[in-house]
Amino acid sequence: MSRAGALTCWLLMLSCHVALAHPAYEGATGFCGGLLHPLLVPAHALAVSGAGLLVGLQPARRRLPAVAAFAAALALGFGAMMLAFAPQTAGLVLLAATVLCGALAALARPVPVVPGGALALVAGAALALDSPPSGISVAVANITLLGTFCGALVLLAAVAGLTAKLAHGWRRLGVRILGSWIAAVALMALAARLAR
Amino acid sequence: MRSLRSGLLVLVLALVPDAPLLAHAGDGAGGFLGGLAHPVLGPDHVAAMVAVGLWGAFLGAPAIYVLPIVFPLVMALGGVAGMAGLPLPGTEAAIAVSAVVLGAMVALAARPPIWLAAAVVGAFAVFHGYAHGAELPAGGDALAYSLGFVAATGLLHLAGIGLGLAVRWPVGRLGVRGAGAAIACAGIVFLWRLA
Repeated sequence: MSRAGALTCWLLMLSCHVALAHPAYEGATGFCGGLLHPLLVPAHALAVSGAGLLVGLQPARRRLPAVAAFAAALALGFGAMMLAFAPQTAGLVLLAATVLCGALAALARPVPVVPGGALALVAGAALALDSPPSGISVAVANITLLGTFCGALVLLAAVAGLTAKLAHGWRRLGVRILGSWIAAVALMALAARLAR
Repeated sequence: MRSLRSGLLVLVLALVPDAPLLAHAGDGAGGFLGGLAHPVLGPDHVAAMVAVGLWGAFLGAPAIYVLPIVFPLVMALGGVAGMAGLPLPGTEAAIAVSAVVLGAMVALAARPPIWLAAAVVGAFAVFHGYAHGAELPAGGDALAYSLGFVAATGLLHLAGIGLGLAVRWPVGRLGVRGAGAAIACAGIVFLWRLA
């Protein structure tokens, strides 16, 4: 190879970056990076918030099964991710689940256990499969996924707990209005992605 | 000659911007701030949104929360139609008419059944959403943009509700009805400008 060719290759290598599904944040790998992932990626924060509002508005006996279904689906999704299964449609499914969660939260009606559990399963699995870690090494990637698992669960539990505490009187109306906003935003984002 | 070509190639490659390849665009015209500004910078949108809040407050429960819940949900459906490029003629005129009708409802202290009030608000929400959706900048971050304009719409509703709470007092009631009349007049001006 000529000197100019070698220099060209070197410059090309210098100018390339990793292709990322989401904007990169400082230190966004490893456990802490994964932990912050559901908070820092707007679509994920919206999805977990919508699911949290819906769970928090349910009667107390229906909250735990929904959270358990969400956690199980997250774990299964991350397991699939470790086996290099990452479907391109996960983001679309996550937005569709967010629309449903937001709209059901706006309605503020009790959701039966089976459909509610199914929705939690779909949301959890889609969230996991839409969270490919950017770490190059397998060990770092797995730790990042573990962080994302914990972050998503903590955020869900926090939003659900806060909603359950606030879901009385005029504050319940605020929660319902927030649910309608989440559904509207997710529907628009879903339509934009499908239109492209 | 060959070394000159190689040198030029190296120079061109060195000048290639090395921005990272991201699936999501950052903020800008199509980001959160763009979405937030869109309803706020359109006086016809602002008038209609504030009128929705005023009317909800005027009607009291359950309209005070049903209308702000119905509006964004139906508005999003209109936004989907706008993004999909479905034809919806007379959008700008319908937005101006929404200010006239909703302002008049407040000015006349109209008290229709809640389903009718929700249907009226929902029908106009389609046109507002269509305008927002159709004007989503190409290549923009749709989620951030939607988040911006839904938040702006909701905050304008809340502003209307806040002002509308003055109906508890006789003077406040007159003031709210006067605000409704002003919004209806502004809607007539918007319509006149379109003609």
